[in-house]
Amino acid sequence: MAATDTRLPPRSGKAGAIIAAALSLPGVIVPATALADTAPERGEIAIKYLQYQDSQPDLSRIRVRAPSVYVMVPLSPKWSVEGSWVSDTVSGATPRYHTAVSGATRKMSDKRIAEDVKVTRYEERSSYSLSLSHSGENDYQSNAGGLSASFSSDDNNRTWNVGVGYAADRISSTNDPTLHQRKNTVEFMAGVTQAWTANDLVQVNLTFNRGHGYYSDPYKEPDIRPDKRTQSILLTRWNHHFSEMSSTLKSTYRYYHDNFGINAHTVGAEWVQSVGDRWTVTPELRYYTQGAASFYYDPVYDPVVGAPYPPGYFTNPPQFISPDQRLSAFGAITAGLKVALKLSADWTVDVKAERYEQRGSWRLGGQGSPGLEPFRATFIQFGVSTRF
Amino acid sequence: MSSVCEIRLDDALGEGESVLALAAEQAIGEVRRIEVAYSRYREDSIVSRINAAAGSHEVVGVDDETASLLNFATQLHALSDGLFDITSGVLRRVWDFKAGRVPQPAQLHGVLPLIGWSQVEWDGQTVRLPRAGMEIDFGGFGKEYAADRAMAVLHATGQRHGYVNLGGDIRVLGPRADGSAWRFGIQHPRQPEATIASVELTEGALATSGDYERYFERGGQRYCHILDPHTGQPVNHWAGVSVTAPACVAAGALSTIAMLKGAQALEFLADHQASGLVVDTAMRIVRIGDTPDHCITQGVSA
Repeated sequence: MAATDTRLPPRSGKAGAIIAAALSLPGVIVPATALADTAPERGEIAIKYLQYQDSQPDLSRIRVRAPSVYVMVPLSPKWSVEGSWVSDTVSGATPRYHTAVSGATRKMSDKRIAEDVKVTRYEERSSYSLSLSHSGENDYQSNAGGLSASFSSDDNNRTWNVGVGYAADRISSTNDPTLHQRKNTVEFMAGVTQAWTANDLVQVNLTFNRGHGYYSDPYKEPDIRPDKRTQSILLTRWNHHFSEMSSTLKSTYRYYHDNFGINAHTVGAEWVQSVGDRWTVTPELRYYTQGAASFYYDPVYDPVVGAPYPPGYFTNPPQFISPDQRLSAFGAITAGLKVALKLSADWTVDVKAERYEQRGSWRLGGQGSPGLEPFRATFIQFGVSTRF
Repeated sequence: MSSVCEIRLDDALGEGESVLALAAEQAIGEVRRIEVAYSRYREDSIVSRINAAAGSHEVVGVDDETASLLNFATQLHALSDGLFDITSGVLRRVWDFKAGRVPQPAQLHGVLPLIGWSQVEWDGQTVRLPRAGMEIDFGGFGKEYAADRAMAVLHATGQRHGYVNLGGDIRVLGPRADGSAWRFGIQHPRQPEATIASVELTEGALATSGDYERYFERGGQRYCHILDPHTGQPVNHWAGVSVTAPACVAAGALSTIAMLKGAQALEFLADHQASGLVVDTAMRIVRIGDTPDHCITQGVSA
């Protein structure tokens, strides 16, 4: 969904009272949203380069270098095709269990290549898309497809979106040549976007995923997870445009629940500030909190056998178990800043930096999982895009 | 509407003339709807029903759209220190621009008490004109409102490139198909076939008020149709005011109020962050606002 676009001349950013009164008349300005239903008139190419580095105290871990290319080409007034390609080179040390600072890490290096393509047909007040994607690395292959449709109301103030997707994944392991597992997921999505006023855009999306197959992590020990996973996600967005300040506040709230027992909440805010005609500065802040999966175990180990096995693991083996830090109870804060510069009518460059930190003690309204080191990550992305 | 009306669309997507004509027809339908709904000349229009009840105890309930327009009129009245007044149409009874007759002071004093939006009982849902003979009309912004609404209809049909021009009140739908701006000439106040400047727009609106639309001259003095509701006399400080704004109703109201403000017009337009130009009676142009230089080109061309 495109950002708020009030279609006002730039100087309206400091409009006077008469202009404000005029704009509140019904039907005098077109809806705030750049809604679907017309094929884009121009193509776009964007090239991005992402650097990611995560770390725990005194330990640099995963490093990712990911160049990507996005291309969108309008084929005719009714059709467009878009595609993207990304290559991730991942290197570093990944924990075998919990955070495991004490040398119990595996040096790994991997390369993932992902491509996707999407074809969209535009009709009056509706559009329909078919998408296909593939992602491959030496121990994980994923193929996915999806169909989605969007319908606009007569006044273009409301858009409904529905979608269905299917993903088939194959999992193997460089540690265990005999491991050949699969995982299949069906996804359903429905949402509505409403232009509430000329300056307010509200969106609600519901996603429901149902999958079965191999969910365990072959690189963690012990790690046995259920072979079914259902996920429910509620996503709400509210964009408010402050025309007198030439800025837009984009706020989001997301609720996540799955049958592993994880409940998570995310609140986020981005302040998109235009500075002059060419610059856009966007600071952002996001807070995430989750409860632990029901089968996550804290880093408390069997007094006899020792790490990584929890007490009683051999005498009374649990049905499901995982030391994966991502399944623990924690809170996380992301702070970021994006700066974009419009070089000309068609060329834009941007740079985005984000800092992420995750701690058990930051979990909202309760104790987080104990005994885990804080986890930090830094993202830096450079991009250049042009329209043609 | 007794003026030149034009809808211009660029066929950016190669949809063909019939698709564009259909879109334009829908927009023209919207202009007609507004014209009919707010006509003073049709007995069944809401404006006629309000005026017919003037002086009686009857309150007239209005629909949401009319309520919005009456609220807008209330705001314009307050923001113009009473200069923009939709009850000032009664001055037409004593000013005859066709015959070119200046009214007698007694005639003016007969109608001036009928003017004054602050006398009107408007509660947001019902309206009552307290004195017999009072009347309202939306002539001060009806055409501009229709231009804005017609643009929105074009947008809803999927069109993105074009403009609506209702007798010089212009609302831009979007730039030309190649992204470039439309160029609109501003009429020379004293040379009917010439322009005095031009304005380029890719969006937003342009409206002009001038002393040359309806006027007559008597004894070397020019009497134009823009009348001060406080005195009943024509304005004579500016020959024309052109304003660009995000919406045509705003541009129209700002240009009309600026004409009525006389010597205070420049200050008023600056206070309202308006852009455009004013032309004084010696045909000197004063630019207002922060319109980029390339947007306004000065110079007479026939």
